[in-house]
Amino acid sequence: MTHGSGAHRTVAVDGLSRVEGEGSLRVDVRDGVVEDVALTIFEPPRYFEAMLRGRRATEAPDITARICGICPVAYQMSACLAVEDAYGIGVDDRITALRRLLYCGEWIQSHALHIYLLHAPDFLGCADAVELAELDRAAVERGLGIKRTGNLIMEVVGGRAIHPVNVRVGGFYRAPAPEEVAALAEPLRRARDAALDTVRWVGGFEIPEVDGQYRFVALRSTGRYPIESGRVASSDGLDASPAEFADRVVEEHVARSTALHARLDGRLDYLTGPLARYALNSGELPEVARQAAADVGLGPVCANPFRSIVVRAVELVFACEEALRLIAEYEPPEPPASEVRPRAGIGTGATEAPRGLLFHRYELDEAGVILTARIVPPTSQNQLTIESDLRRVAQAALDLPDDQLAWRCEQAVRNHDPCISCAAHFLDVTVVRG
Amino acid sequence: MTGAGAPETASRVVVVGMGSEYRRDDGAGPAVAHRVAGHCAGVAALGPIAEPLDLLGLWDGADLAVVVDAVRSGAEPGTVRVIELAAEPERARADDPPGTTSTHGIGLAGVLRLARAVGRAPARVVVVGIEGADFGQGTGLSPAVDRAVPHAARHVMELIEEVG
Repeated sequence: MTHGSGAHRTVAVDGLSRVEGEGSLRVDVRDGVVEDVALTIFEPPRYFEAMLRGRRATEAPDITARICGICPVAYQMSACLAVEDAYGIGVDDRITALRRLLYCGEWIQSHALHIYLLHAPDFLGCADAVELAELDRAAVERGLGIKRTGNLIMEVVGGRAIHPVNVRVGGFYRAPAPEEVAALAEPLRRARDAALDTVRWVGGFEIPEVDGQYRFVALRSTGRYPIESGRVASSDGLDASPAEFADRVVEEHVARSTALHARLDGRLDYLTGPLARYALNSGELPEVARQAAADVGLGPVCANPFRSIVVRAVELVFACEEALRLIAEYEPPEPPASEVRPRAGIGTGATEAPRGLLFHRYELDEAGVILTARIVPPTSQNQLTIESDLRRVAQAALDLPDDQLAWRCEQAVRNHDPCISCAAHFLDVTVVRG
Repeated sequence: MTGAGAPETASRVVVVGMGSEYRRDDGAGPAVAHRVAGHCAGVAALGPIAEPLDLLGLWDGADLAVVVDAVRSGAEPGTVRVIELAAEPERARADDPPGTTSTHGIGLAGVLRLARAVGRAPARVVVVGIEGADFGQGTGLSPAVDRAVPHAARHVMELIEEVG
């Protein structure tokens, strides 16, 4: 929807299509200059923070998993790490490896979904994934096949494909049998091949050249591409523990949104997510992923938000390859979870959700009851940067007619795969009587 | 819930509880699916599922998929509606993007169209809708919706019996 005339022009998109959850955006233009942009989002973590107070810390992984229908494992993992940090619990390396395998399943599901069903249509002139399926059915089938492989990992390790139930503070309720895990290898090899095809496919898209000039923030851990743990690093030299980082992130409330806008040290905007992970860790990718990136001309750092689809595809190759490695080395942890003994304390946990850094911080009493909870999802950290992107993209595209300008702005938002998140999803039903 | 999350299910019937039990009446769908699972052995009851796109791969090849979800249509809270989704593929209209029937990226209708486009849709999809009253944050169904759960479950079980 657009309105306005003469010098003042407003472009508004009331229901953002193809982003997870709900959102709208508005761009105000005056005298040929983009005056203001506003991404309005409805985000439930704030309500969950209130709901968590008074609940047992051991309930946090399952409760927070319900914040997002796309990345429940991310919420479970960050919650487990935070509670374990508060309790001073360490976990066996085999538990960490199993967590990483489960998380690979979520990356595979989420990235396949975003690349094929939400993002690729933008580059191929399709209104949505249905139109894409009509144009190139084989491509959509390939994407859905990759996603199903992610489902399989979630089912074997997490207990079910959607909203895993096998995760607990300290580890898992049950370690899958070696033969169950080994059976994942064959579908994963096929998924890896399909992911390599995906890199070649998206690498051939016509992608606008844009330099986002981002301050990247991501986890970093020596010797491995970050997923389930690490210190927090930035492209301008930050190196902090998750707890130190949490202290330095200041969130401000913005009236138009239920999300908080995060700034580092109260003033700096930054970007988390695939572009940031890749820029800070591409040297840790396995050879097959690095080669796939090189083959489509992707260097070690990419600051073009429109090219994030290629970075996601490279991460898809990585997640399949990493899952194969973890399967080959799998030994069931025994016991499957560390002992959990409540004590009073504060704990922070940070992991890499598919769409970026997600951290949780809990203050617990001596009985293990949550006194305060803080959940900072990637989208609220990225919000200011997304708005900067919007301003830049809108300014460069002002010559376009309103509908095309609005479309370009939507693309600028989708580049970052924002999890505007799962609010309620009742159906709005209108009964027409003939 | 039995068989939750089984991809490529061999079951001929899939019952999907859409919704979140942390959004009050939005939990009606999962509550009904849970109740049906307790009464019908061999039926794949899935849920809570918050994201319609998750249905891709979970309902593939089913003879019947029953999607139970809270609805908001202005009817009396607790009203149960059984809506047969058209057997023929629907064409999207320019003013009818897939997201308009849901607050999600791609709603149920869009996901069904997508499943049909790649030849993986269930043979028959029926939505059992329960009119909700309160979609606020928190757990627990409002009284009228809670009373409607067994009523909706009976509708679902009748649909399952029809398949035989």
